[in-house]
Amino acid sequence: MKINISRPNIYLLILSIFLLIFVFVFSFAVLIPEGKEYRKQRSELKKERRAALRYQNFNNETSELLKTLKSDNREVLTAFERAFNEKRFQKQHSNYFSSLSISKESSAIVDDEFSIYEVNTTSQISSPQSFYDFLDALNKSDWIISVNFPINFKRDGELIKSTFTMKVYATLKDSNSTK
Amino acid sequence: MKYSYIKPRKKSIFSAELKLVLTFFSITIFMLLGTYTFLLYKDYKFIEDRADIVQQRYDLNISLTQMKEEIEFIEKQNLLSQKIYTQNSVLKESMRNLFDLVPQRITLSEALLLDNGLILYGITPNKDVYNFMLQAPLRSIFHKTYSSFYPDKNGWLRFVSTNYIEEREDEN
Repeated sequence: MKINISRPNIYLLILSIFLLIFVFVFSFAVLIPEGKEYRKQRSELKKERRAALRYQNFNNETSELLKTLKSDNREVLTAFERAFNEKRFQKQHSNYFSSLSISKESSAIVDDEFSIYEVNTTSQISSPQSFYDFLDALNKSDWIISVNFPINFKRDGELIKSTFTMKVYATLKDSNSTK
Repeated sequence: MKYSYIKPRKKSIFSAELKLVLTFFSITIFMLLGTYTFLLYKDYKFIEDRADIVQQRYDLNISLTQMKEEIEFIEKQNLLSQKIYTQNSVLKESMRNLFDLVPQRITLSEALLLDNGLILYGITPNKDVYNFMLQAPLRSIFHKTYSSFYPDKNGWLRFVSTNYIEEREDEN
């Protein structure tokens, strides 16, 4: 028995087989590996996004903490940033003394982050209570100031002459501008 | 000789079967290439997005480091201010306690408060009043106490009391 296939049909069959092979080869050699790569990349992106989200949340929490700290310690931070003003200090604290004179030393002790001015103070007080009140007022003043030794109290008639040094603390950034 | 009575048709290379095969494979190849292009585009987008996320994390990291430094500095400032406020309050209480120690019968003319000691100048009616009413409490506070007396005009005694603490843990 002879199978009679016309020549155009043979060409058609060959073309079909060739195209079919191309489709299979393309699918298995190119498309499927690319699909695997796509899934891998998608999964890695998801991981990265999750990590970035956690990082973002942590960043937000830290930012909130910073805001809270700044608002809670606003007075202290402002006091550290404010440049020391002798006249203003005298005006604010003169009511505790019969007389008050202060002299800022020219050199500032600078450590890593803070500058410290030494201020010599000579004053006259009517009673030790005035000095106690002054120490209380210092803790509420516009600057961060500590009273340091030596402190000398000497009787001067009806008054007490007091001599002591104070240290005014400021952040280094502002200390440069006040020099 | 036989003749055909039908009109001859134009023969085309694209027979119906060929058109069918070509249509089928065209659609198939189009879909395959479309899918491949889509995957390539998505891969490119994923890589781009990952690069963006990495950059974003880098920026966040810088901002986080700055914020941490700022927090650390604020805490340092807060701690220093608290230390100074406490120091001032302690000084006030120490001075109050010191002046409360001085009895009515003894008059101080000068008091010098040092970092590790105290020097008092004053007048006392006699040594006993000084010893019992001032020196005794001073001895309980200071490690070393020295006193010297010299007579005043009205028969009272002028004294100089020098008192030291040997070790001081808290330094200014």
